Amino acid sequence: MPVRVSLAILMAGGLAAGAVADAPSATTASQPAAAPNAPGGQMTPSFLNGRAWEDFRAGEFGAATRGFTEAVAAAPPGTSDHLQALYGLGMTWNLRGLGPDPVLAAKCFTEVVTRSPTGDVAAWSQLALARIRHAVPVGTEPDYAAVRKAYQEVVTKFPFHPAGEEAFVYLQSTWVATLDPKDAGQALGALEGFIKDHPGSKFLSAAWALVAECAATLGRPDDRLKAKIASLEGKELDPTNPYSDNAALYWEIATIAEFEAGDFAVARKYYKGLVDDYPQDQRRWGARLALERLDSVEARLRKGGK
Amino acid sequence: MGDTTARLKRWFPVFVIAAAFVWACAVIVLHRTAEAPEGTIVIRVGHWQLETSVREAFDTLARDYQKLHPNVRIVQDAIPETTYGQWVTTNLMGGTAPDLMEIGIGVTEPLWISYQRRYFHPLTQYTARPNPYNRGTPLENTPLRQTFADGMRSAYIEALQEYMKINLSQFGVRIFYNKGLLKKLTGLDEAPRDYHGFLAACEEIKKHTNAEGKHFVPIACSGYHFWMWEMMMADQVTYPALARADFNRDGYVGNDENWVAFKSGRLSFDFPAYRARFRMIRQISDEFQVGYTGLTRDDAVLLFAQQKAVFMPTGTWDSRSLQEQAKGSFEVGLMEFPRPTDQDPEYGEFIKGPLYEVPWVGFPFGIVRTSKHPDVALDFLLFLASQPNNEKFNRIIGWIPSVVGCTMDPLLEAFKPKLEGVYGAMNFGLGGETWVRWSQDYSLFQVNQIDYDELAKRFGPFYIEKGLKDFMEVNRDWRRTIRTDEEFLAGIRAKALLATGDEAASLWIKYRSLTAMRQVLPEVTHARLMALVTKGPDPKAVGPYEHSPEVLDRVRARLKGGRVPKR
Repeated sequence: MPVRVSLAILMAGGLAAGAVADAPSATTASQPAAAPNAPGGQMTPSFLNGRAWEDFRAGEFGAATRGFTEAVAAAPPGTSDHLQALYGLGMTWNLRGLGPDPVLAAKCFTEVVTRSPTGDVAAWSQLALARIRHAVPVGTEPDYAAVRKAYQEVVTKFPFHPAGEEAFVYLQSTWVATLDPKDAGQALGALEGFIKDHPGSKFLSAAWALVAECAATLGRPDDRLKAKIASLEGKELDPTNPYSDNAALYWEIATIAEFEAGDFAVARKYYKGLVDDYPQDQRRWGARLALERLDSVEARLRKGGK
Repeated sequence: MGDTTARLKRWFPVFVIAAAFVWACAVIVLHRTAEAPEGTIVIRVGHWQLETSVREAFDTLARDYQKLHPNVRIVQDAIPETTYGQWVTTNLMGGTAPDLMEIGIGVTEPLWISYQRRYFHPLTQYTARPNPYNRGTPLENTPLRQTFADGMRSAYIEALQEYMKINLSQFGVRIFYNKGLLKKLTGLDEAPRDYHGFLAACEEIKKHTNAEGKHFVPIACSGYHFWMWEMMMADQVTYPALARADFNRDGYVGNDENWVAFKSGRLSFDFPAYRARFRMIRQISDEFQVGYTGLTRDDAVLLFAQQKAVFMPTGTWDSRSLQEQAKGSFEVGLMEFPRPTDQDPEYGEFIKGPLYEVPWVGFPFGIVRTSKHPDVALDFLLFLASQPNNEKFNRIIGWIPSVVGCTMDPLLEAFKPKLEGVYGAMNFGLGGETWVRWSQDYSLFQVNQIDYDELAKRFGPFYIEKGLKDFMEVNRDWRRTIRTDEEFLAGIRAKALLATGDEAASLWIKYRSLTAMRQVLPEVTHARLMALVTKGPDPKAVGPYEHSPEVLDRVRARLKGGRVPKR
């Protein structure tokens, strides 16, 4: 059986084509045989953008910068390709390993927002402007007042866009992280409002996780437990990631229930879940021991023990 | 005449060099032509396994593969471990790397991750599809990922969020012993499985001398082998420390929590479980040969092969060669580590269960981006990772197959990891000065120059005093991770924005779950960690796994069906 035939069976669009398209322009010898170029072999802005993002992902920031710059020049101003190229260029300037330039990056993002104030790429660019202020280079501390203002701007402009919702959870995390009960109380109110107004949001699990942190700061174990369970129920698991599971969250909920809320029924449910659902998890034996402990503590208390 | 001779003399060295160059080129061309006649595809496989059986296994499976694909030649580049790192780096950067490359040694882990990111093909897209070479087996319709014993967890690089390699074998650690020598010196047919029986046998062995008048060594050990005794025997007794120091209740004692527990007095070197761990280390290491910490893996193997030692711990990677060396001389036995049980009079109170053995799948190969035939390289890798071929491949090598449902050498059955039990809960690895000091003091303890109390006296105060500085130093750069993840997430987000349908949905799930896990919540967990480290735990609070009186009141109320006090 010739190899090519076996590969046709093996996978449609496998390494033979897909991996070549994956290959970064700066590092690979395998160049695309039939890339999505314009007729005549001219590279389209769309192709340039795609290849520049591949370079970006491979850490080839020089090539990515060149690719996005070419795409910016090649695409008619204001078109989707043009905005995508500006956005990619901004990301590359901001996040390149050596010599990041947040000022140039901010210019790119601002231009996207100016050219298409309500568009999809504009929403992500607005979030990127806030992230520049928050995810600062090592050795510097974020200016939290400016960070919060920038996040609030995204939330205000794009309240129901994923970028706006992401900005909201980032914004609240800056308040929760102070561990100040006053800030926690304020964040809790905002988070509860978000949960009520965004019932279909994909960021509900993260919002509930922050509610649980607020409850921990405020010393409310019952609320913490309830929020943790809600966070679990809304949590998305990445099926392609073998490490993406709920084992740690099961353990956390069970121990909060046992040692903070004194709710052994809930504790039992989640310890048992860990034992049943995660046969390879290291904490499984500990969960078995915990189930025995719950029984013995209850038996002792029933007999009037302390 | 004279002119001619002088000219000849002058040009002779040039002629010799030119001839040597032409000869070398011809040899290389002829060799390559023989290796790959015109029209064939050559797949080169680079690895560091110089064991004869590994090369033999590759050759055998290559021949099998060539029967299916006559136009393909598989060629091995077996490189010594000591130069593997340089070889990998040079070839990857020079664009001359083999098509398939074993991943893992020679350079640091972060560098390997960056090499994989830059120079290797991600394999994620193939993991959800069946392996075509499993056709006709029970795994015919099983996604590739689920055909591996560890579900390909060890092939997944979290930092890249991609499967980057395929692991071809599993490994485990057990104790080998010389059956004849054990019988001769102790009268025992089998090695004792209980801890104190094992130590008694070791003491008996030490009393005897060999033909050279030298005392037999109970256990052959070396600096290389020592960790096996720690991980497989001694660390498990520290599990009770979890109840004292797992402040964030994630199920593990982190280096920060260990330090906070010492600083706040919740743990100390007087903690009975820690004392027990070091007592066990002392008892076992008393049975090693003198000066073992300065010896290498080969020194210990030689001692065992020369029948001067009775026991030696090692992994499956050595099992075939040990059996080969013993062939015709002595019979090799295999045993579990003689861990104390919960009934043990000395250690029983610290034994909370069996030992959890981390599943250890390895021998990983990735596909290099500069490969001219990445499709064929992948196809050969899948061929090796199919159930029948993986079984055959590992049978030749003498290792445990990585694929589920394969049969294996009965001797190797004993190496299969046990996936339920307790694990160590002691972590002095803060980095910086304290780690250097720990390494020095612990080394002195290992060679019995200081006892446990002296170790505690030397290290304890230093650890408590300098630990905060070391911790702060290591955590000073915590935002670097945020930046790295920001870059990584930007790549996923862009991919998701440009994708459609199921692919887009899957990428957005990945993006959101990583955003929450790596960017949103770490802001808060970092703040809590800093608060714990700088302020310590609440002195009035009970331990992380203890019930406070208030909690017990609530449990009591629930049991009675009464009103539960609000908290």
